[in-house]
Amino acid sequence: MATVPNSFKIALLASAVMFSSFGFADDVLKEGITPATDASQVPASAKLRTDTVIAGISEPQGIFNPYFFVNGWDENVTNVIFARLVDWDSQGKLVPGLAESWTVSPDGKTYTIKLRPNLKFSDGSPLTAEDVAFTLTVLYDPKYDGDTDITLAHIAGGDDYKQGKADSVSGLKVVDPLTLQVTTTQPGATTLQKIGGPVLSKAYYGKGYQRGNLDYLRTLHGKPLGNGPYVYDKYIPGQEIRFHANTNYYRGVPPTPRFIYRVTNPSTNFQLFQTGDTDYDAFTSRPDDIEQLKLLGFANINLYGSSDYSKIEFNLKRPALQDAKVRQALIYGLDRQKLIDVVYQGYGTVAIEPISPISWAYNTEGVNPYKFDPAQAKKLLDEAGWKTGSDGIRVKDGKRLELTLLVSKKVLNDALIPIAKEDYQKIGVLLKPQVVDFNALMSQRKAGNYDLASFSTSTLNDPHDGVWDFYSTEAAVQGYHNAEVDKLINEGNATLDIEKRKPIYHELYKVLANDPPVILLGNRKILSASSARVTGFKPDIYNGLTGSLPDVKIVK
Amino acid sequence: MRNFILRRLLQTIPMLFLASLLIFMLFAKTPGDFIDGNITLTAQRAAELKALYGLDQPLISRYLHWLGNLLQGDLGFSLQYQIPVSQLLNQYIWNSFLLATIAMVLYWGIALAVGIVSAMKPYSLFDHVVSVVIFAAMSFPTFFLCLLLIKWFAVDLHWLPVGGMTNTGSDATGWAWVMQVAAHLVLPVVALVMLQAGSLTRYFRASMLDVVRMDFIRTARAKGLRERTVILKHALRNALLPIITLLGFELPGLFSGALITEKVFNWPGAGHIHIDSLAARDYPVLMGFTLFLAVLTILGNLIADVLYAWADPRIRVRS
Repeated sequence: MATVPNSFKIALLASAVMFSSFGFADDVLKEGITPATDASQVPASAKLRTDTVIAGISEPQGIFNPYFFVNGWDENVTNVIFARLVDWDSQGKLVPGLAESWTVSPDGKTYTIKLRPNLKFSDGSPLTAEDVAFTLTVLYDPKYDGDTDITLAHIAGGDDYKQGKADSVSGLKVVDPLTLQVTTTQPGATTLQKIGGPVLSKAYYGKGYQRGNLDYLRTLHGKPLGNGPYVYDKYIPGQEIRFHANTNYYRGVPPTPRFIYRVTNPSTNFQLFQTGDTDYDAFTSRPDDIEQLKLLGFANINLYGSSDYSKIEFNLKRPALQDAKVRQALIYGLDRQKLIDVVYQGYGTVAIEPISPISWAYNTEGVNPYKFDPAQAKKLLDEAGWKTGSDGIRVKDGKRLELTLLVSKKVLNDALIPIAKEDYQKIGVLLKPQVVDFNALMSQRKAGNYDLASFSTSTLNDPHDGVWDFYSTEAAVQGYHNAEVDKLINEGNATLDIEKRKPIYHELYKVLANDPPVILLGNRKILSASSARVTGFKPDIYNGLTGSLPDVKIVK
Repeated sequence: MRNFILRRLLQTIPMLFLASLLIFMLFAKTPGDFIDGNITLTAQRAAELKALYGLDQPLISRYLHWLGNLLQGDLGFSLQYQIPVSQLLNQYIWNSFLLATIAMVLYWGIALAVGIVSAMKPYSLFDHVVSVVIFAAMSFPTFFLCLLLIKWFAVDLHWLPVGGMTNTGSDATGWAWVMQVAAHLVLPVVALVMLQAGSLTRYFRASMLDVVRMDFIRTARAKGLRERTVILKHALRNALLPIITLLGFELPGLFSGALITEKVFNWPGAGHIHIDSLAARDYPVLMGFTLFLAVLTILGNLIADVLYAWADPRIRVRS
């Protein structure tokens, strides 16, 4: 039954395929904010809400603890309630949040974090370095089952605490109420963002805490106490989450007294925005949706790049794919431009590097872009010893070049299957797509039961996150191993200095292009809109809409 | 009668065990588990988490563990919602129940009335018009019908809300709350009634037509009874017999949630829970919810049997 909306999308895709050759150059919406043309069109029902701003959210699940939520929607909720020690700016660079400043020792292993003075939780209790140390200790608890993997920060003594050999994490030292010193065992570019997350109140969450017992803490998932721009009021499952402005917020009380997340979904979130039921929501970045938003007149439209990328992973344990030439041929032989045009209709780009174009690490100079070139693909396959057989499929040592492609059901893959099948047929490769649900795909991949697997990364906050999967220990499943890649990944992760990291990643991307572990597919853009009756929404992928909340104001 | 009910109740016990085993195997054997879908985890962390959730245990001990908890009335703890499954279901199924019950009363009423009238005058103009209207309503894709209703009545006319169950941010209680919920109910109820009334009307009509052709109806008419009495007293009661079975089947549907309708109208029902927990492999919820529906199905059948026996002495006596 759930496939009904999908068949809709397939129909849309089919029509898009027909028109894809037209190009989209004429009236493509520019990245950034396109202001509303006619603020007088704001629906009357929205104008009645003089102290409340309502934003759409898809599927919150009610776990309002920043270290325990399971899906990203709950993260959007906790971002409203909890502020971070260290924030990101719109390019993904780290900037001070609750932490006023930080210093890193020359060997890159010791972090000294200085908090802003007079920080308070929303109940007025003080926020000190003790609370930060408590938060990081909980992450090392043997019973901790949340999404944050603190072991990647390599805090000294963390493993001992987890295994019960020590009663505290020795690498966490509270110097004074405003200063925390974190000692790690190895340098890491992503360490600061791991230890610089939201802060849990020790007085509130830590009552009676002992190692191995998080039961009490879990009972507070529905009663969060934070220090973000808004304070949690109420959650009505499947309907809404209410907040009021935090008078103790360190950047000043937000100008809008009340904020509500209302549960919406892509099938009717446009109608809800149109009738004024919501003031802000995210939409699919397709020309039709953008046109509709423009017609409303009262929509401030915001288009921004996402930080993830989609890819097809090679299984290098398959003899055919061990040869880099075969992998290169499979990239040359796939018309990725056509795929991206069909799927994103002008609001996506072909991925050239395992990082989004919005990142500071993005630099395609000298990196092979693998422009669609079937002749080159055929040549490479010939060189690799795969000769065309009688039925047009290439053969080597009596084996046909047949590849299974694992995909899950989504719009990108709906287009990928026919395009890839046809393109690969032309270079003598028989593609056998297999559609399974996402979990099954991942488990089949883990079992090594695939040749090619298509999926997307999650949101990437640091270029390290985009390449970590290609490190030999992490890529053990797909069997990718390249000593040069490992070395460059380590180097890129060894320093926090962006100017030093840039050339390392640039070099890494060149090496990865020549010995590709994946076929990079695309980077997408995200569309959101806010009503002209509110100002201050300027979302980006690193901060979402919550980064704007301290500034969102209702126009009088 | 009491023996009959007792025997049927006893029969449900092995059925429930079988259902629990089947449900467990079905979901446990589905490829992928709760941890597999998370691509950000390192291999080491994934193994740690699997151990924490007991997903590394052999199937049989996982089943016995689950069954043991079940027998103590514990449905388990949701992996992705982090609350007990019973509490989770409690948050959503009553909303589904409200929507489904109101829709059911309406479409059963409509189907009953329309079915009888068109059976009394088969192949008349009324009968034909009803058939056409019913088939038209039934043939709408759910998704499209819901969006069409929203466009007409919510976006263009502003008569009714687009979706949800109450006004966002409203603190209404008592009568004001009831009125708000009622306003939000109208469109989803209309959609469900339009989609469901059709097939049921056809059942009623067919069942009535079968009965009115029988000898005892001719006898009743020959006795000189009024047509009203013939139809409503003699024909209807007999025509309702096969329909009782259908009524029993409706029971699980009252709680399971109408997936598409609830989604499009943002109704906070249980429909999406099942799909979401399947996608996430949230086993406790999947198994708990499915078992709950299985119990309702068995119960619905039992009720249907009892009603059937009550309405038709032949069945009572034979059993």
